[in-house]
Amino acid sequence: MPEAPLPAMRRGPARWISVLAALGRVALMNAAAYRASFVVDVLVGAVASVGVVLPLLFVYEHAGSVAGWTLHQALLVTAFFLVLQGLVGLLVEPNLGAVVEGVRSGSLDYLVLKPVDAQLVASLQRVAPAKAWDVLAGLVVGAWALAHLPPPTWQGALLALGLLLAGLAAIYGVWVLVICTSFWFVRVDNLRFLLTAALDAGRWPVGVYRGWVRLLLTVVVPVALVTSFPAMALLGTARPGTVLHALVVAGGLLWASRLTWRGALRHYTSASS
Amino acid sequence: MSAGARAGGWLARHLRATPTLLRVGFASMVAYRAEMVVWILTASLPLVMLALWNAAAADGPVSGFGQAEFARYFTATLVVRQLTGAWVVWELNHQVRTGALSPQLLRPVHPLAQNLAETAAAVPFRLVVLAPILALLLAWRPDIAWLPSPTQALLGLLSVVLAFLLSWLVQAIFGMLAFWLEQSLGLFSLWFAAYAVLGGYFLPVALLPGPVREAAAWLPFQATLATPVEVLLGLRDDPVHAVLVQLLWVVLALGTCAGMWRRGLVRYGAVGA
Repeated sequence: MPEAPLPAMRRGPARWISVLAALGRVALMNAAAYRASFVVDVLVGAVASVGVVLPLLFVYEHAGSVAGWTLHQALLVTAFFLVLQGLVGLLVEPNLGAVVEGVRSGSLDYLVLKPVDAQLVASLQRVAPAKAWDVLAGLVVGAWALAHLPPPTWQGALLALGLLLAGLAAIYGVWVLVICTSFWFVRVDNLRFLLTAALDAGRWPVGVYRGWVRLLLTVVVPVALVTSFPAMALLGTARPGTVLHALVVAGGLLWASRLTWRGALRHYTSASS
Repeated sequence: MSAGARAGGWLARHLRATPTLLRVGFASMVAYRAEMVVWILTASLPLVMLALWNAAAADGPVSGFGQAEFARYFTATLVVRQLTGAWVVWELNHQVRTGALSPQLLRPVHPLAQNLAETAAAVPFRLVVLAPILALLLAWRPDIAWLPSPTQALLGLLSVVLAFLLSWLVQAIFGMLAFWLEQSLGLFSLWFAAYAVLGGYFLPVALLPGPVREAAAWLPFQATLATPVEVLLGLRDDPVHAVLVQLLWVVLALGTCAGMWRRGLVRYGAVGA
């Protein structure tokens, strides 16, 4: 790793910004080291994004509205899903996967020793830029859907952005909670695949689900907060209760993840000792 | 020794080893049971698709598929997908890249035969993990339950076995591409995307738009999933013909597989592993 200016030398917000910049630089260098696999990843990502949209097009070949959502309204949800999938692949999965490996091999020692917040570094030390494709695909699908819908109000757009951020925070919280189990049960690499599989359910409007499955998708693995809720805000159908729900769930999960991370670090004894 | 006698000896040796290989395979399944359970649960996409089509059929059947038919279709898809699951493409990619294949080549048993036995030994384990999911589905919608006629059951079983062999052979073929490409998992993802759309994973093939459906009939994807599902559910008018087409694909894939192994091993040796 090249010499970066020591972040510990500065104080306050400047320090945080320089930490983030250093992390971003190193993460990009790591990703660029495997160029051939980067190209294949981009190609596969393109096909996968098409695979997410295609079933929806097939369904609406046969039905005019599904659970009260028209094709373009549902596409808006899918657009947010693609953005979520991209961000998870880009930022969350590589980093938290690395934490699991660090706990197993003991290399987390080096991270904990650094004079910055361990959770921040653990969450931002790597990126998988090829996954940015999904974010791009999400933006394209979103633009396509919006072109066929009445234009959203600026309040609606602002609310959608806020709900999206709250939802992303909630998903990040769940992810940290899952990863923290690796401090107790070492082999949990697979759990993150299970989480990815659960997130898959967020690609449709939440009205498609009923009963406890809906509860699961709005509270436990709150993927609907990222996909359906912002879409509802853009469509002008989000109610105050929706917003409150999103804030409570996101806040609760973030808080729980912070507490659990602290507890897990206390429990961490390093594989080498 | 003539070539015929040598081939006979090879076959007899492998047949003798089969019970042991199956036992070893099952034991390793049990040793990694937690991981296996998680892997099995990640293949939940049929349930996500079921939710969408279930909502689409809420106001009446879609092209002859009512809510009960969709539930039955995707339940069968979930089961058949599990029973035909393999992981040889990941295994071969790993073994070729790291050289872990070399010691395996010294054994009297063909490395691929050993993998096939392990894959087959996982089937009962998969059924056990599926049981509670099936029970939940049955509780949700009791009209999923159906009893195939003896002919359907017999042909369906044969069809599942052929689909199992074909899925495994396809994965082996993509895995062997690693002899030439170093990394063939990306290519396999592309195959999987086509399989999901054209093979009946995302939607019943009958619901594909006309031209796509006709093209899909000439491709191997259905033979790995849709054919056994439809034969078991009695959705095919020509089940015998469908199973014969599967057999044709298995023979073709087996030939390709054998040829690639011979040539690939030469490549592998040439790398100096």
